[in-house]
Amino acid sequence: MAESKNIGIFICTGCQIGDAIDTAKLRSIAEQTSSVRHCTEHTFLCSAESRQQITEDIRKHQLDSLVIAACSPRHAVANFAFDKVLTERVNLREGVAWTMEHGNEDTQMAAEDYLRMGIARTETSGLPDPYLLENPVSDILVIGGGISGMQAAIEAASAGCQVLLVEKENDLGGWLNHWHDIIPVSGGKQTNLNFFLQEKMDEIKSLTGIKVLCNTTVSSISGEPGRFSIEVNQQGKITDHRAGSIILANGWKPYDVTRLKELKYSDRQNIITQAELETMAQSGSITRPSDGSPPKNILFIQCAGSRDKEHLPYCSNVCCLTSLKQAQYIRNQHPETNVFIVYKDIRTPGKNEHYYREVQADSRIFFTKGEVTEIADNVDDSMAITVSDNLLGEPIRITADLVVAATGMVPNQSDDLNLQYRKGTGLPEWKYGFPDSHFICFPYETQRTGIYAAGAVRTPQGIQACMEDAAGAVLKAIQCIESVKRGQAVHPRSGDESYPILSLQRCTDCKRCTEECPFGSYDETEKGTPLPNPARCRRCGICMGSCPERIINFEDYSIHAISSMIKSIPIPDEFEEKPRILAFICENDAYPAFDLAAQHRLKISPYVRIIPVRCIGSINTIWLSDALSQGYDGILQIGCKPGEDYQCHFITGSELMEIRSENIQETLQTMMLEPERIQTVFLEIDEYLRIPEIIDDYMETIEEIGPNPFKDM
Amino acid sequence: MLSVQPDIRFIEELQQATGSQLTTCMQCGACTAACSLSEEQNVFPRKQMILSAWGMKERLMADPNVWTCHQCGDCTVSCPRGIRPGDILAALRQAQISHYSKPGFLSRWMQDIRFLPLVILFPSVIISTILILAGTFNFDNFALPEGPVNYGKFFPHGWLNGSFTLLFVLSAIAAVQGIRKYWQNMKRIQEDTSQIGRLTFAKFWQVIRKIMVHKDFNSCTQQKNRSLAHLFVFWGFILLLFVTFFAILSTIFFDYPLSFLNPVKIAGNTGALLLLTGASIMIMNRLIRPESLSSNYADWFFLISFWLLTVSGILVEAARFLEWSSAYHIYFGHLVMVWIIILYLPYTKFVHFLYRTTALIFLKLKA
Repeated sequence: MAESKNIGIFICTGCQIGDAIDTAKLRSIAEQTSSVRHCTEHTFLCSAESRQQITEDIRKHQLDSLVIAACSPRHAVANFAFDKVLTERVNLREGVAWTMEHGNEDTQMAAEDYLRMGIARTETSGLPDPYLLENPVSDILVIGGGISGMQAAIEAASAGCQVLLVEKENDLGGWLNHWHDIIPVSGGKQTNLNFFLQEKMDEIKSLTGIKVLCNTTVSSISGEPGRFSIEVNQQGKITDHRAGSIILANGWKPYDVTRLKELKYSDRQNIITQAELETMAQSGSITRPSDGSPPKNILFIQCAGSRDKEHLPYCSNVCCLTSLKQAQYIRNQHPETNVFIVYKDIRTPGKNEHYYREVQADSRIFFTKGEVTEIADNVDDSMAITVSDNLLGEPIRITADLVVAATGMVPNQSDDLNLQYRKGTGLPEWKYGFPDSHFICFPYETQRTGIYAAGAVRTPQGIQACMEDAAGAVLKAIQCIESVKRGQAVHPRSGDESYPILSLQRCTDCKRCTEECPFGSYDETEKGTPLPNPARCRRCGICMGSCPERIINFEDYSIHAISSMIKSIPIPDEFEEKPRILAFICENDAYPAFDLAAQHRLKISPYVRIIPVRCIGSINTIWLSDALSQGYDGILQIGCKPGEDYQCHFITGSELMEIRSENIQETLQTMMLEPERIQTVFLEIDEYLRIPEIIDDYMETIEEIGPNPFKDM
Repeated sequence: MLSVQPDIRFIEELQQATGSQLTTCMQCGACTAACSLSEEQNVFPRKQMILSAWGMKERLMADPNVWTCHQCGDCTVSCPRGIRPGDILAALRQAQISHYSKPGFLSRWMQDIRFLPLVILFPSVIISTILILAGTFNFDNFALPEGPVNYGKFFPHGWLNGSFTLLFVLSAIAAVQGIRKYWQNMKRIQEDTSQIGRLTFAKFWQVIRKIMVHKDFNSCTQQKNRSLAHLFVFWGFILLLFVTFFAILSTIFFDYPLSFLNPVKIAGNTGALLLLTGASIMIMNRLIRPESLSSNYADWFFLISFWLLTVSGILVEAARFLEWSSAYHIYFGHLVMVWIIILYLPYTKFVHFLYRTTALIFLKLKA
């Protein structure tokens, strides 16, 4: 890190950079720096000719590091990537030329500062040396032999992976073994479920790479992607296995119907669940449990406990379709029986609408929107169900001798994984208890790298969707193995070869890093010293931000490097004319938003100096105190939205920043500084229009509270 | 509370009458959103659609709201499931008529083309019998009167007017009985009958006045000319009703037939012209078969009968002036049509004027 560098500086004057600033002055700054061996400018730096020229210059001047002062680091990435050469990008196009007034003194100062910062970072950074595992394995462990697990095994084996499929029951098939038929059924008489299930079983048998272990549970998982050690228990017989990545497809269970107190499920024999009806249909005849007689009027209560804050706040996606399917079973078996379906909304997504219509055409199947408000027991063993809030404008009473509760899907516990991780045996759960990370941006990703969730454990869904899920999760699992083999990060920093390096001799065993890592990548010794598992790491830098001893660093993203950037620029004395704001911008959403603002030529104050960070959770407080003592008048931290609908790409980074901010405010007080000196802003990627306003508002705040008293001290 | 007891046969009858896949109604309310008659507290026609799909016959047979609709077709055009709510409402009106008209077999006759020969044969036989009794119709020695056409010679006014009036009284009793039962049922399903006000002349007049100018019918957005055509028929028929009444009196007290320039005669001819124009437009409208208006046998039977009544009436007059040899045959045909329209009244669509008026009065009292 610290060894002296041979730096080459390449300044682009295209895309209006040359019009905006005087690049000759930039060159003279470069030339005054001792580590800079070569400095030149081009009008078209991302051209093939320029690349040729840079390659030659690297050879000629024996350059080990480059500073490319051109466009945003998000552009022309491949053009400026050179093997074994550290490249730092200085954003003169989006950061200066497109957002600041051309030819202005302040614009020129901004460009010069950014170059200084780029040089400082390059001087203090090194080229990452990827973390490579010895003998990584490419096998995939699939937990759960239901439809998602079976399909995942099929997909993975078809892609050439070795698969270990673990099922805790006697047979593969999961819930399908208990179902009468699948959705949608046409005609209903001939079941196609058995055929479907057999087809899957045959496919699993025919593929050579799949090893199936039934009556088996996972008793322990340790290690990291590429070298997970797995211990399984097959009815007392313990065997060890290895896997590169894991797919969790342990499915779901129906919501506990006894918790729906008003149904009095335990007291009423003739109230059953969808699952019970399904089993009944599978075993032959649909009858009333109380006396075995055929029901004359059956009522389905949809959303029994679903979309209900007291129970399951979400929609389980398949209960409506299941009731439609079951209504057809009943009608085929008992042609004189009426079926009533009381729903909140019938949800039959996509082409299933045609199926809904098909079922509706039956004149003995009645649908109504409504709430079941009362169930009364009649003397003849039937029930009188009052349905209010329907579309007739008055409550109605339906007499039924069998009631079916359509209860929702609850994900099974991810503790089945038995992870031997410091952060627990299961996966962290997010919204509604599902263990995904972000359902739109990063489906299948869990908060444990190398472990992917598929099927109903991830989100409530039907068979078709589960099969798609399985394919998606398998792709992720393979991608993970391949990345780990190259020593690279998985999503969202795909391809990043850096990883946190800990100087453990200075560690105080405070456990902040092990505690705060969102991905549980640190285990611990008994004493509490962190044991890093770099292949589990997503390279967010949250541990670096958390470490009070500042012993966690990345080769190309270190506390020292960012501090050097902060300290590399001269802070003008005259606050009135030249205040200075430091802005830490999250690379994931906020930085692209700044680029978008620049593409729209929105004007951004030339007094702001931007430092991109991997996550605002990676900001170490030392940078803040460095900046304040350096004389910056204020610090902005812009990151992704935290909370239940978080957008943080590292899940908890923004949240941690919120917690840390409280401590920072205390520090500010002890420094006799105003709390407004440091401000955190959450920005979504499409909110780029807000950026000038955010900056201007903050500038105003700083103007009000006056200059940093540490300026010029 | 409304207790649900679905009548599956009723659902199937409605589906058969309209050809609509009624049960696929998803209760979205697009019909209600399109309908100008729907009110916040009286959601129309979604409520009727749900009740129909659930086979709640008893409720629907006592529903006055179906008569507020003039089948503009807005709902039918906007229904996303294509189940034609407008047609269902028409079928419900038809069902109410059959439900209350006793004896029931007569209304079944009017709704099925297979009974058409019987429907025509029945009045023909009766009229022939009357003529036989009057002595003008002689099987052994059949002869039409000689000389200038004088219908009275073959169709003795006294005999015919007398017997038709008698039969009309019977038919009117049947109609009134149906209406009475309808009224009772409408009242019975009200949770709180005290909310139904007393019938006063002022309220009655408000309803009638609206009907006279077709105020509600005029607000139909699809096919504007339907309302005008109906207005022609409406007033044409009323004019002719007065003229007929006068004519019956004339046969007793004055000279008959009347001269061509007699104001009553002029009124009669005007009425006939109005009727012919209106009924012809109505037939045309249904022939074009617009998306919003479909027609079943009962619609056609009534409309064509009405048109034939008008045309035969005009021909009767023409035959008299032009001395057609077929004049008496035409008159016979006209009498059969009179029978179909007037004496079958409680069983054909014609009785709608009674049901609609009654329903509107009921709603007026309830409001």
